[in-house]
Amino acid sequence: MNNNLSSFVVACNDQCTGCRACEVACFTVHNQKDNKVAHTVGTVEIPVTPRLFLTRLEEFCLPVQCKQCEDAPCLNSCSAKAIARVDGVVYVNEDLCIGCKNCMMACPFGALEMLPIAKKGKAVKQIGSDEVRKSAYKCDLCINIEGGPACIKTCPHDVLKLVNLEEDRKEKNIKAAIALSLTGNL
Amino acid sequence: MIINIDKDICTGCRECAEVCPVSAIEGEQGKAQEINYDKCVMCGQCVQKCKSYVSIVEHGAEVYDQKRAERNLPATLKEPLFAAYNNCNLDKVKAALADKNVITMVECAPAVRMAIAEDFGAELGTVEAKKLAAALRRIGFDKIYDTNFTADLTIMEEGTELIKRVTEGGKLPMFTSCCPAWVSFLERNYPEMKDNLSTCKSPQQMGAVFKTYGAKIDNYDPAKIFTVSVMPCTCKEFECNREEMNSSGYQDVDVAITTRELAYLIKDMGIDFNHLPDEDFDQPMGMYTGAGTIFGVTGGVMEAAIRTGYELITGKPIPAIDVTAVRGSDTFRTATLQVGDLDLKVGIVTGLKNVIPVLEDIKAGKLDLHFIEVMTCPVGCVSGGGQPKLLLDSEREAAYEARTKGTYAHDAELPIRKSHENPAIVKIYEEYLLTPNGKESHHMLHTKYCIGENEFKK
Repeated sequence: MNNNLSSFVVACNDQCTGCRACEVACFTVHNQKDNKVAHTVGTVEIPVTPRLFLTRLEEFCLPVQCKQCEDAPCLNSCSAKAIARVDGVVYVNEDLCIGCKNCMMACPFGALEMLPIAKKGKAVKQIGSDEVRKSAYKCDLCINIEGGPACIKTCPHDVLKLVNLEEDRKEKNIKAAIALSLTGNL
Repeated sequence: MIINIDKDICTGCRECAEVCPVSAIEGEQGKAQEINYDKCVMCGQCVQKCKSYVSIVEHGAEVYDQKRAERNLPATLKEPLFAAYNNCNLDKVKAALADKNVITMVECAPAVRMAIAEDFGAELGTVEAKKLAAALRRIGFDKIYDTNFTADLTIMEEGTELIKRVTEGGKLPMFTSCCPAWVSFLERNYPEMKDNLSTCKSPQQMGAVFKTYGAKIDNYDPAKIFTVSVMPCTCKEFECNREEMNSSGYQDVDVAITTRELAYLIKDMGIDFNHLPDEDFDQPMGMYTGAGTIFGVTGGVMEAAIRTGYELITGKPIPAIDVTAVRGSDTFRTATLQVGDLDLKVGIVTGLKNVIPVLEDIKAGKLDLHFIEVMTCPVGCVSGGGQPKLLLDSEREAAYEARTKGTYAHDAELPIRKSHENPAIVKIYEEYLLTPNGKESHHMLHTKYCIGENEFKK
């Protein structure tokens, strides 16, 4: 049986300063193609819509993002079938999302947020009203973006890592096996 | 205040404190930061660095509208707002443009044309001098003049001053005085070295001639002239408001805005920057050389001064116009240049904090140089605090490199590359200033330091 577990981005040390560079980078790379965002702040015409969320507590802060759950509650609860697993990534199709917020209720990590949709640098209106359409936004590991997760690349303190738990487990197994062999009990 | 940190938005990450050259940003980690204005030199590097934005998730859309209004930004502005920001002066510019009794003159620093297109989606370092001139004309300025011209004027004055100091025994090393953050730093921290500063005003402030010579050639009433400068720099606002900057009989430059603010204005007026035709700056004070252009990069003022100084001293053209010995990005570099019988020893400092060991070495008698260029920002004005702000820090190096490359490319493509060969410079001396460092130039183009509000006791 193929037991490939999904990779995910997670904060791996306590060096986060809360600078929000990860959120800005996430927004930037996700809007270069469809929303005319280029290299500078001046090219941004829409609200910043990050897919990871800086979480600040009294003692420390960390960005929180999707774990790409194997049996994803957001996907299971989606009433519009807008969430699917694509190449191991739990992916929201903005065009299908109806903003029912089931996913937000279901996610135990608060890794999704309802945010306005924009196309060509303009807010997308709802069909029946002038209100802006919203969709669930969550980490998609930058699957359609060259260079992989932008948050990891931009973090000035190497807080974020792309985790592959299977490789991690195998490495730990090897270390444990070596340790056992050194005890002389084998 | 020119530079501000918004307490409601700052997360206390202190990434700005890392780039502040004078350790002016104070506060506990994780708490909103404060600027120590006794130390701040207004360079705006914190503004460039800050990523703590007004968030629709955390703060709400209403807070964005409220902050935009509080900061005096145009209501049409849609771009993200950050905790660290600089004062916006567009209201003053708009009021002058709207007043039919006011003659508006604008000047644009060399580095502005190397970066403004980035705020309209262009690749990093795209040079758009001609679209910039066209945009300024569409905005409605009566005269589209250029700081590149006044940079050429600076070279005439500063080159002559250097030669005088070297040959007649003046205070050495002479420091450049174009960078107002550097000047302010010296005035506050090393006032005993004020006589090392060139007495030349910066190119922006040499724009004083717009209200004198500029008024004369077009028969304008100087009292009605309102001069706007567009700068890559947040500190230029401080410089233009210095109380002694009134040689023309009026405030020499009325308002300084940043490259970013000019982009706001272009958007606010519905001007389609990318589809503007190529146009020229107005004559005569929009005529410029490659030497004026390279003021925007570290080593540029030095190179421009050498191109002219060499010929003033030797009477012969400089053998190689590209003075590569002074180019580069090392934070402190020195070179010895053969100028006739003179071994001219020069130094270039880029990044304000790197000047401290240099100043200490000079005081200790360990450094023997004739002329030192100092720029506060990382690679000179192209990396200034008022330039288009990068979304990704990973692109910072590439952006600085591209803007620098653009600067040298623009220099190389210009038909005239030495300040003293600029026909408009020749003419302004013939018709008005007479001679570099002469009586009128001294009055109009030179200044004093550590006076009035800028006299600091150690």
